[in-house]
This record gives sequence, structure tokens and C-alpha cells, in this order.
Amino acid sequence: MVIARSVCKAYNGRPIVDDLEFAVRPGESLGLLGPNGAGKSTTLKMTCGLTSIDRGSIAVFGDDVARMPRAVRARIGVVPQEENLDCDLTTRENLLVQARYHGLDRFAARARADELLASAHLGARGDEPPAQLSGGMRRRLLVARALVASPSLILLDEPTNGLDPQARQTVWSMLERLRARGVALLLTTHYMEEAARLCDRVLVMDRGRAIEQGAPSELLARHEQADLDGLFLHLTGAALDA
Amino acid sequence: MRPPRLRMALRVWQRHARVFLKLWRHALPGPLIDPLLFLLALGFGLGSYVGDVQGGSYPEFLAPALCACAAMWAASFETTYVLFWRMHEGRVHDNVLTTPVEVEDIVLGELLWAGTRACLHGTSFLLVIAALGYVDSRFALLLPPFLFLGGLTFAGVGMAFTMFVRTMDSLAAFFTLVLNPMFLFGGVFYPTEMLPGWAQPIAWLAPTQHLVGIARALTSGAHVETIASDAVWLTVSTMLLAVVPLLVLRRRLVL
Repeated sequence: MVIARSVCKAYNGRPIVDDLEFAVRPGESLGLLGPNGAGKSTTLKMTCGLTSIDRGSIAVFGDDVARMPRAVRARIGVVPQEENLDCDLTTRENLLVQARYHGLDRFAARARADELLASAHLGARGDEPPAQLSGGMRRRLLVARALVASPSLILLDEPTNGLDPQARQTVWSMLERLRARGVALLLTTHYMEEAARLCDRVLVMDRGRAIEQGAPSELLARHEQADLDGLFLHLTGAALDA
Repeated sequence: MRPPRLRMALRVWQRHARVFLKLWRHALPGPLIDPLLFLLALGFGLGSYVGDVQGGSYPEFLAPALCACAAMWAASFETTYVLFWRMHEGRVHDNVLTTPVEVEDIVLGELLWAGTRACLHGTSFLLVIAALGYVDSRFALLLPPFLFLGGLTFAGVGMAFTMFVRTMDSLAAFFTLVLNPMFLFGGVFYPTEMLPGWAQPIAWLAPTQHLVGIARALTSGAHVETIASDAVWLTVSTMLLAVVPLLVLRRRLVL
């Protein structure tokens, strides 16, 4: 579904992503795990063609992202780290407009928006601007917005960053429902609990390089660690929040 | 750089239109008051000291030019403050770029929307001056598409500037250094032939006198044939100006 080969990216001569390789299989959930500055967000941006790739290549659904970014973006959903909901529009209109960007006609867009509002448990808040929603609701709206084109792959950059534990649970259960439907996830996180709960496999990144990958339980066993926090410390010699 | 696609650009346009339709009651009257104030203060006030200009009264000379200015202001505001906000504060484009809509489509969509606002504002003021009796020709019915075209040109100027601006405060320089000179020396208040010889080619390089010329010709019905060259000027310069955001916007939005 996603195949990244020897991907390199540097900003101003400083390597951000260094010879990274990974793959996401259909229906799989892969977590990019690492501290701030590990190159996780840049990797996501390269995967959806928002940032150019210096060397190497990323193929999504067999299409090279660098050559066919439009084709790739038509088939994936993106949940950004920074909330960029359209504050001039209502909650429902955010979904409607997104559906139009994806080429749905007016009627299909309306039906899709209502469907997504219901599935994000925002049905009663459709006519309110995003600013009036709680943090957890806005994050669910961001996920719903990424789903307008019914993608089979969603990229999520720190999907629950900054949310309180309760709001985090509601976002997680929304993402778990997607996984149950066979939607593949490629997400970045620095929360171990999130990785353990949502990811089939994790790729531990540090300073732009992949230093370990595998199923969370498998990695813990391999390195004789009790939890992913300990594993990370063991692998990098640094705490995740550092 | 890929060529922009009209279908995708129209989706960007539709988003702006949707927002505008919610706010137009607040958004439209304000910009109409500006040209009206100029018409009252200069057309009637100063105009009583000024004799006939180009065969008509001074308010008759000024009114259609202010119609062009309403379009100019609308397109300029839309492609400076509003566009800057969408790019950097509202992060509207960041999201658009995660969909099949591309940077080039955004550029075209923004231009078309700014042209639309220009046409709306200019046409609204045209109705005002028609009600005041300053429209003498049915050719004036042809003016709105030219207000749209001129709006595109001013949008091109505004966008080209906004591409290189890092803070919203710097946009004030656009109004001081670009827009006000175009307003004051662009043939709005007096024919550009009154400018010193060396200044006339500079005035010719600004879109104002071309759109003002079209507005005067169509509202008066005199020298209508002159609009062809002005329309060609506006079309060509719009196409040249649009190259700037097409080349730069990607770098400003995508790292």
C-alpha cells in the first residue's frame, strides 16, 4: 500500500530523514514512533506529496508520490498535527467543502457530510463553527474530514496530541472503528499507549533513521522491556519527551 | 509548475463564495461607501470649482472611474490581507493541498474569486451611479465583465506582492506604495495626459487607467472602440502577473 525506499530529506543541509525504508500493507496500522525532531512528520508529508523527497522514493497504491501527487491524494486522507479546520465555515460545511475538493457532486457531498457527522458523533453540532466544539470533537472532525473520499489509507500526524485522556479515548475508538473496517493507518506518535493500542507495527525513529521495527509485543520481548517507554530508552538512550 | 485546472480552481472559488454568501451583508456595504465618499467630497465638493472635464461635468468624469476603483480595491484587499490570512493564519490552503487540488489550481481559484469580488463591488457601485444619473449609455451593461477582467489584473498585482510578504504588517506597504499611487495617478481624478511627459508611460504601466478608460467609455457611450486596446492590455498583463504566484506559492505553502 505504501512502500518507502531509501528516503532522504534534508533542510538547509541538515538531514531530517535519512535512508528510511518502510512499508504499510493493506489494512495495516503502522506507527512512526520517536521524539520530536525524529523526522516523523516530514515522513508523513513526503508520503502525501506535500514535501519533496530529496532521494529515494515513496509509492502509494503503486503510484510514485513525486510524479503523481494528485492521484495519490485523491485516494488517501490526511489528518494534520495542527488543527486547520475552516473557521469561516460550520462543522458540516467543513466536510461539504472537503468533499467538493475531492470531486463529489453537491448531492453526494451532502449525503457524505451527514454520514460522517453521525459517525464522528457530531450530528447535533453540524451547524456550529468548529471554534464552538471541544478539542476532542474538533479532532474527530479532522478525522471525519480525512474520510470524505472513503480512502483505504489515512495518514495521521500525532492524532491525539494535546488532548485530555477522555477526548483521547473518543478519538482512539473512532480510529479503532476504521481499523475494524480495514482502513490502513500510517500515524506518528510519541505516546506509547497510543502506539500500543492502535498500531500493528511500530517503526522507531531517531534523528531521521529507523532504528527498530516490529509488532509492539514482539519488540518488547526482543529487547526484554516491560513497556514501549522502556524500549525507547533502551534503543536510543534518550527519553521520548527529550 | 503544472497548468492550473479550471474545474479544481472552481472548487476553491466555491469555498470562498460559500463564505461570502454568509457574510455579504457585512462585506458589501462598506466598500461601497468608500467610492461614494470620494464622489461626494471630490465630485460635488471640489467639482464645483472644476469646470467641465472631457466634455462633461466633473462628477460625470469621476463617477465611472470610481466604479473601476471599487473593483480595484476589492481585488486588492482580497489578494493581500484576505489571501495572506488564508495562507498563513487560517491555514485554508494547507488543508486544500492534502486533497487532489494543487497549488496551481489554488492560484487560479484565488484569482477568479478576487475577480468576482471586484465585479460584484464595481457593479454595485455602477448601480449607485446609475441611480444618481451618471450613466448615459446602454453600453454600461457590458461593464461588469470588464470589471471582472480588471479585477483579475489587480488580483495579479496583489498576489504578486503577497507572495513575498512575511508579516501582515508589511501589507500596509502595498497600499501606500502601490495602490494609492495607482489610485491618485491612474487617471481617476484627472486625465493622465495632465501628468508630466515622463510620468505618462509609468501611469500606462498601471492597470488603473485601462480599467478607468473602459468604465468611462462604456458609461458615456463615447469612444467605445478604445476599450479593445485596454482590454487586451488587461488580459496580457493578468497572464504575465499570474506567473509570479504560480512560481512562488508552492514554495510559500509547501516545504
